Amino acid sequence: MKAQKYVHLQEEQVLWAIIDEEDLAGDDRKHLRECPDCRRKVERFRDELHEFGQKARQSVPPFSGTVRLPGEKPAPVSHDAGWLSFFGATAMVGLVVFFSVMGMESMAPGNLLTLQNQESLLEDEFLMREISDMVESPLSDDMYEISGENGIGFDDDFLQFVVPDIQDDFQS
Amino acid sequence: MKTEDNKNMSQKIAALVEKARGGSRVSFQELVSIFQEDIYRLAYYRTFSQMDAEDLTQEVFEQAYRKMNSLHDPLRFRAWLYSIAVNRCNDFLRKRKYLALLRIRTAEEQDFMNTVNDMSNSYNDRIEKKRFWKQVKSILHKLSAMEREVFTLRFMDHRNINEIAAILDKNESTIKTHLYRALNKVRGHSELFKEYRESVS
Repeated sequence: MKAQKYVHLQEEQVLWAIIDEEDLAGDDRKHLRECPDCRRKVERFRDELHEFGQKARQSVPPFSGTVRLPGEKPAPVSHDAGWLSFFGATAMVGLVVFFSVMGMESMAPGNLLTLQNQESLLEDEFLMREISDMVESPLSDDMYEISGENGIGFDDDFLQFVVPDIQDDFQS
Repeated sequence: MKTEDNKNMSQKIAALVEKARGGSRVSFQELVSIFQEDIYRLAYYRTFSQMDAEDLTQEVFEQAYRKMNSLHDPLRFRAWLYSIAVNRCNDFLRKRKYLALLRIRTAEEQDFMNTVNDMSNSYNDRIEKKRFWKQVKSILHKLSAMEREVFTLRFMDHRNINEIAAILDKNESTIKTHLYRALNKVRGHSELFKEYRESVS
């Protein structure tokens, strides 16, 4: 009730109260302490500003990076990387043991190489045979018959007609 | 109790700063873990871009690490770090203005698309956040550069007047004057400060 004697704070004073109540003039400060209406105005704006700050904080997307100091190497991609190499090495050793125990020498890397060489040699040999066959008789018998290259059905007169002697040309 | 906690924290920070100045990377790394979220948020409030804010956070700590010996009072580490961050952000924003003039697409625009496509939040949440940042931009747009800086440091970065004065290297009464002008412009925002508007109308 005592506060009713004073004039309520102006909006300007409310704003100064939000910034720093100590900056208000003596009477205004006293009024603010005693007047619930003015107190409420100040508190309300202060709360809204606080809420605004909180909302801003919550609305920022999370920081997804890592701050690295100068000269620092990037962190390993995953802590499981060590386990991966360990399992890889174990698997390799396991394979070597498997080959030696099962006695599959032919599957050993050295033998595999020889086998591959032998296969390619055989393949080459087969190809060479095919080529020499084709040089000797480029066409099959049936094809010769069709083409007439085996000479059947053509007499000397026909051949003379198709390919005349050189001497005949000179005479004519 | 809270004051006691703050005091302990300040002492812890000062001890870490001392060690870091002596060349301890571990201590500096601890300082990074204490402040990285704050610096990242500070950068985000000024760039509105996650990518840019993360890059700036990295740059701020790199610069702080290199210039650690120029800090004379370990108790002023926070203000010193914030001033590096504020200056870095201002440099970046100046550069971005030039890029905007050249019509080069900035990370802020790209982040807008990322926000829309961000599946980590619900659709309503994303819309709500987008609307909020739009309102923030609209009120900050009304303020002068200094008013914006002071307002952001006070109500978004939650720094007190004394700290803001140290960060911006100005006296407290100057900071208060800018803050008053900023509040005077901001109070009219009908959506963000609805209750206050109703109480004074």
